[in-house]
Amino acid sequence: MEVSLMNRIFGTHIRNRSENAKPNLTKARIDHTYTIESIETDDKEMENFLFSLGCFKGEDVTVISVLADNYIISIKDSRYSIDADLARAIII
Amino acid sequence: MRIALAGNPNSGKTTLFNAITGKIEHVGNWPGVTVAKKEGDVKRDLRPSGERTRVIDLPGAYSISPFTSEESITSAFVTNADADVIINIVDATNLNRSLMFTTQLLEQGLPVVVALNKVDLLHKRGIEIDEKKLSEKLGCRVVKTSSIKKQGLRELMEVALSVKGTEQKAPITLRNVDPADKAEFEVAEKERFTYVDRIVNEVESRITESRKQTKHDSIDRVVAHKFWGIPIFAAIIFAVFSISQTYVGPVLADTLGGWIDSFYGYADGLMGESVAPILRTLLLDGIIGGVGAVVGFLPLIMVLFFLLALLEDSGYMARVAIVMDRHLKKVGLSGKSIIPMVIGTGCAIPGVMATRTIRDDRQRRTTAMLTPFMPCGAKLPVIALFAGVFFEDAAWVGTSMYFVAIAIIIFGALIVQRITKEGYSRSYFIMELPEYRWPSLKRALVMMMSRAKAYIVKASTIILLSNVVVQIMQSYTWSFTLVEEGMQGSSILAGIASPFALLLVPLGFGAWQLAAAAITGFIAKENVVGTLAVVYSISNFIDPEEFELIAGANDVAAVMGLTSVAALSYLVFNLFTPPCFAAIGAMNAEMESRKWLWAGVGFQLGMGYTVSYFVYQIGTLITTGGFGAAAFPGLIAVGVYFGILIYLMRRNESEVSMSMGGAA
Repeated sequence: MEVSLMNRIFGTHIRNRSENAKPNLTKARIDHTYTIESIETDDKEMENFLFSLGCFKGEDVTVISVLADNYIISIKDSRYSIDADLARAIII
Repeated sequence: MRIALAGNPNSGKTTLFNAITGKIEHVGNWPGVTVAKKEGDVKRDLRPSGERTRVIDLPGAYSISPFTSEESITSAFVTNADADVIINIVDATNLNRSLMFTTQLLEQGLPVVVALNKVDLLHKRGIEIDEKKLSEKLGCRVVKTSSIKKQGLRELMEVALSVKGTEQKAPITLRNVDPADKAEFEVAEKERFTYVDRIVNEVESRITESRKQTKHDSIDRVVAHKFWGIPIFAAIIFAVFSISQTYVGPVLADTLGGWIDSFYGYADGLMGESVAPILRTLLLDGIIGGVGAVVGFLPLIMVLFFLLALLEDSGYMARVAIVMDRHLKKVGLSGKSIIPMVIGTGCAIPGVMATRTIRDDRQRRTTAMLTPFMPCGAKLPVIALFAGVFFEDAAWVGTSMYFVAIAIIIFGALIVQRITKEGYSRSYFIMELPEYRWPSLKRALVMMMSRAKAYIVKASTIILLSNVVVQIMQSYTWSFTLVEEGMQGSSILAGIASPFALLLVPLGFGAWQLAAAAITGFIAKENVVGTLAVVYSISNFIDPEEFELIAGANDVAAVMGLTSVAALSYLVFNLFTPPCFAAIGAMNAEMESRKWLWAGVGFQLGMGYTVSYFVYQIGTLITTGGFGAAAFPGLIAVGVYFGILIYLMRRNESEVSMSMGGAA
């Protein structure tokens, strides 16, 4: 019930969920804390950078809001704005 | 003694640096303002001993293993042990992430002092930190500070001095792994996180969890809204201009204008008839008139700088980056590109330098090429002059210049994307969001005074010199005789500027005086105002008799012989042609490619000409029903420019590797 409501409200952002089976941050519910499963990207440097922020497998992540196609996320007491591409790379 | 300041982005390093050295380096409430290291001496009253103490402010870093180029500066600096003591600035409201970097710094062997910064915010957030325990756990001294409130600075300096020469022990020794072995390295680094988690659990207590929604998040939902974000940004910029340009600024400018006028009169009276006429003109019109015209706009600029400083301090600019991200992404840039552009509103040089934070070569070069389109501080007097003389100080003139700049930037990025044949490439965008805070009036005042000082220094050096040269070139003919009355066209200045003026006829301003002013603008954009003052002998654009910025508006407009449309076209031309030489130098440094530099300058020149052409011709068509002067030759010039752009965009793929896209 709650999920469908969220879908309706934020439906535009989640539209491109498509076939990709693995749930990533773009499919996250707002205000719900998830555990990161993996970071899927071929950009090694970005992966390392996320690592230095404490964004890696086993850590918690929470989507605070979706603003202008950017995802505001909370990791380790900090707020970050990430774009949809990066959100898609964070598998939860 | 040398002390290095290291810490996460936006942890307040530069604010601390300014507080202990008394310098006024640019600070902003968003990460990544500092891109190069800065040095300064500790203020005398903070020095524990008589020893001269040098402080080095390093760019922010999240980790010792560099990701961005600013991080490499920091990492190279600490690993080369180029300091006696490292002060690690830790954002107390974000202990967990900050300590990750701290533990890495502790392994470098240099004595480390932790400055637990932003402690003034702890109470409000319901966070308590046991700094004694933290000090025990880390094995280094911890000092509570607030760089904004200037608390704990003296103690910090004393502690830093006391640990000088000691050897730092690392609190944890990670298994000695080969950093090249990725998997094992990561396991070791994860141990570090676990270790940090454990420390934080012991020393910190939080009432509210940071992952809960706050009122900052609610503000974000409004100001960074998909549709409302841009109108809100436009409204804020408009407000900034109407306050500085229409309301508060002119009142102040009026007073200053009166003083300059009196000074002109005083100097005139003082010289009397005893001084040679040529020297007299040089002094009065060249120096006092030219420099005075530029300085006359200082109050307006100061009010504007003050408001922009407030805006930067609030944390709003980071939200502008979010709003712009998706638009810039469509043209091959990212939200990262907005930060150089925001800094570029102050001065294009640090703006272009800030492009260093962009990793992708093509994005960085494109941003460096487009950032100078943003109207910088030096262009503001030009805007103020034309808005005042021709448009009754309307705030829309300045505001629209910012949005025209944004439009040109987006259009320009699109063209570069087409020329380099760069397809849609995934460029990840991540930026730490600073919390909003009430902007400090005091900080904004300090920032404003520092910029005002720089403005006056510039006016009394480079602008003054340019005006003298312009005045001399205007007073003499090619055969070095004095220009006769009514024969101004025979001067050296007219001779040089006239051929250029011919090219500018299709833009609505073919007078050699205007061409000369535009040319001197390349030395410094304020020169446009100074030179106009000199060549038209308008000693003062600000009439002290009236309570308006430029009461003699009609007179000045008549002297220049421009219609409102042509004036707007001239303004656009000066703003959107290449920036001053210093900024072009900065572009050269950041682009690291001559090809890109020339392409960039060529693009800027063509763009300024084109926009200006359309403003004049279309504007004239609307106001008079017919095209302006030389519409057809101008169209050919614009057509050639577009032809080149289209040719570059259409080239087949095989050539691309040899062209800009492939340039190293």
